[in-house]
Amino acid sequence: MTELVGHCHCGAIRVELTTAMPAAELPLRACQCSFCRRHGALTTSDPAGRLHIEATPGSANRYRFGLGVTDFLLCAECGVYVAATMEGEAGLTAVLNVPGVALAGFDGRTPSLMIYDDETPEQRIARRKARWMPAVFVETQPSA
Amino acid sequence: MSQSPFTWRAGGCHCGGVRFEVALPQVVEAQSCNCSMCAKTGFVHIIVPQSRFRVTKGAERLAEYTFNTRVAKHLFCAECGVKAFYRPRSNPDGWSVNARCLDTTEGLDLRIEAFDGQNWEANAAGLAHLSQEPA
Repeated sequence: MTELVGHCHCGAIRVELTTAMPAAELPLRACQCSFCRRHGALTTSDPAGRLHIEATPGSANRYRFGLGVTDFLLCAECGVYVAATMEGEAGLTAVLNVPGVALAGFDGRTPSLMIYDDETPEQRIARRKARWMPAVFVETQPSA
Repeated sequence: MSQSPFTWRAGGCHCGGVRFEVALPQVVEAQSCNCSMCAKTGFVHIIVPQSRFRVTKGAERLAEYTFNTRVAKHLFCAECGVKAFYRPRSNPDGWSVNARCLDTTEGLDLRIEAFDGQNWEANAAGLAHLSQEPA
C-alpha cells in the first residue's frame, strides 16, 4: 500500500490517500463543470483505496450546488478546493483535487476531459458510487 | 476620437456572489504559473492596470489570504472558494484576473504562456509592464 499525502496551501486541511495503485495508474479527471473549471480542478479516486481528510477545527468550508448532496470542501483560510465528499449507504465517499493538495506523482500527466452535463441525478449518484473512494473526515489540530 | 482597443468583459466566481469586469484587448497574454499558490488554485493570470478592472458585486464576500512577504493579496469568494482575481506581488499597482473566471472567452485570442513562479525572484520583473497605466 502507498500513502500519498498533501495539503491545501496554508496546511489547515491535510489529506492522506491510501492505495495499492501507483500514482501513475490512478485516474486524473478534468471535470468540465463550471465549478471545477474555475478551480482548475483535476480529481482522482481509487474505489479500492481510502482517503483520510484532516482539518484544523473550523477550517473546512462546505459548499453545495447542483443536486445539493455533495460537500465541496474548501479551506476557509486559503480558499483551496481540496476534495468533494458525499454521504451514502456505503458511508462517506470522496474524490480528491490533486493540484489542490499538490499530490506527488501526477506531474506531466494529461488529464481525461469529463463532461457530465447530460447525466440524470440517478446516473450521477451511480457514477460516484462506482468511482469515488471511501473517506474519513476528522477535525483535529495538525500533529507536530 | 479613436476607438478604445479594449472591450469590457464580465466574469465571476461560481456561486455568483462575486462579479467583476475587466477591459481586454482582442489578443491577451496570459500566464499559467507553477508556484505553490497558483498551482493549487489553477489560476490563469491576465494582469491589467488598476483602471481596466472593477469589482461590480460582492467585494464584502471576499476573503483575503497572505503568506511569505504578504505583498500579494490573495482574494477568494468566502462561499465557493473561487479566486477570480487578486493583487499580485509582481504587480501590486494592478490586478490579476483569472482567465478561468471570465463568463466567455469568445472572440478573445487568449495566449497562455508558462510562467516559472517557482523561480519568482528571477522572473517577476518581466511582468511589471503589464499593470502600467497608459501615459
